[in-house]
Amino acid sequence: MLEVRLRKRLGPEFTLDVDFAAPPGVTVLFGASGSGKTLTLRAVAGLLKPDEGRMSADGRVLFDSDKGIDVPVARRRVGYLFQDLALFPHMTALENVEFAAGDVPRAERRGRAMSLLERLGVAHAAGRRPREVSGGEAQRVALARSLAASPRVLLLDEPLSALDEPVRLRIIPDLKELNEELRLPVLYVTHSRDEALLLGGRAVIYERGRIAAEGPPEELFAAPASETVARLTGVENIFDGVVIARDDAAGTMAVELKGAGGAACRVEVPLGRAGEGARVRVAVRSGDILIAAEEPRGLSARNVLRGRVSSVEERSAHTLVRVESGVTWAASVTRHALEELALAPGREVWLAFKTYSCRVYE
Amino acid sequence: MAAVDLSPLWLSLRVATLSTLVVVLAGVALGWLLARRRFFGREALDAAVTLPLVLPPTVLGYYLLVLLGRGGPVGRAYEALTGSQLVFTWRGAVVAAAAGALPLMVKTARAAVAGVDTQYEDAARTLGKSEWQVFRRVTLPLASRGLVAGAMLAFARALGDFGATLMVAGNIPGRTQTAAIAIYDATQAGRDSDALALVLVLSAAAFALLYATNRLSAAGHDS
Repeated sequence: MLEVRLRKRLGPEFTLDVDFAAPPGVTVLFGASGSGKTLTLRAVAGLLKPDEGRMSADGRVLFDSDKGIDVPVARRRVGYLFQDLALFPHMTALENVEFAAGDVPRAERRGRAMSLLERLGVAHAAGRRPREVSGGEAQRVALARSLAASPRVLLLDEPLSALDEPVRLRIIPDLKELNEELRLPVLYVTHSRDEALLLGGRAVIYERGRIAAEGPPEELFAAPASETVARLTGVENIFDGVVIARDDAAGTMAVELKGAGGAACRVEVPLGRAGEGARVRVAVRSGDILIAAEEPRGLSARNVLRGRVSSVEERSAHTLVRVESGVTWAASVTRHALEELALAPGREVWLAFKTYSCRVYE
Repeated sequence: MAAVDLSPLWLSLRVATLSTLVVVLAGVALGWLLARRRFFGREALDAAVTLPLVLPPTVLGYYLLVLLGRGGPVGRAYEALTGSQLVFTWRGAVVAAAAGALPLMVKTARAAVAGVDTQYEDAARTLGKSEWQVFRRVTLPLASRGLVAGAMLAFARALGDFGATLMVAGNIPGRTQTAAIAIYDATQAGRDSDALALVLVLSAAAFALLYATNRLSAAGHDS
């Protein structure tokens, strides 16, 4: 178990102030860049000294401002995978890992380093310098090096951000499998929603130096607890609106969303505390919106909107279709759906989503 | 024409080699300190170490005479320890040449160490390495090109030292007469061919060193 409670003022505008615990397994630190995720890793590693707080790993105190304890970096046994890896350029992959293997006889060190490289599938690169290996290989070598020092905690700073998607998707299962064996608390910094969801475990959502939410990533992302979390976790549709009518009996209310140039769009959302005339924001995930080529009938979905496709953006895993209907909605569809419905700019379509797919922030 | 006496050249090489050894050790330590540690008076220390580069050699020689002479603190301590004195010996020439060459080494060492990305050092620390191991296994090898270039510059500077050496070690043929001083001595005595021979050898040595230094730093830029 890794326990982190720290406060660090870094200028008049920014104070890092977080408090969380990471059990063995992956804890994803998720948030926009500049929200303090990397600073947290640096503080845990001992490279940044908090103004106050307490940190411990496996019950061993790393830092305690009240007791004046500040264990030096070299004695914290915190494995840190830097964003740009920091593999020593003057050493081969094997030498990099061997260097970390500690004060044991050379043959033993070499054996340990070699078996780690094998375990991570990069034994073939052992004799090469960092600049002679691919991005994915360098990643695995750096991970092997971190593990060679027998860390109690592992810190991974956007470890996959520099890699191509296919390489990235291959490393994540390996990382999960490896960690099931090691049972280390792992702090994993990312701003990729896909990575967070693939890794599972727990997520801590950062917002301007503070924790905005924490819990299992799939829950946090499915039902964002606040507008900022919704924005951070990639809810594509967030609109300003005004409550037009409340229906307490049905548990719903009608909200008029304001689009550009006076256009508007009326939707039905779950009943909230906001009274008639109150300003609210409504968020809908792009994956919760259905697209129909003809006007749908007999649907349970209470929101059916007619609109026109304004753009089609192909993403790696899905396609985002933007539809103009008073406001601009984003709906994600698969490539097959895109072809079958012949979705292209200018095409008239209907959007459908449930009342309960709408989240209202007051 | 009598054979040219090359003994001043050998003395010069010996003095320059020894002073370079001293300068490399002190210069790397000072360069690292200036590049990596924040402390009060850091820039003042840098300026003080650089002074010999801008002061007239006679001023440096004067300071050294005061320090190393029989009445000076260093001279007295040295005499108490070894029973011999420093001034007007070849050892005095080593100190004089080292003082003149130190700024070149410190300046290049500071730049070379500052050029090493601190992330490599941080990475080594997180891997459990002591500050000494971080320096020896990471900082030093990554700064090595610059350090070697600095050492070569220091050697070339020490090889050609004249003013400070003359004041501290004197001009004793066979004992403290280095090549630079022997050239001056020969021209004063009208032995022009002796002077020319030493001038040519010294120039060639300095050129070879500077050429090698440039090649080294150029190779550094390529990688």
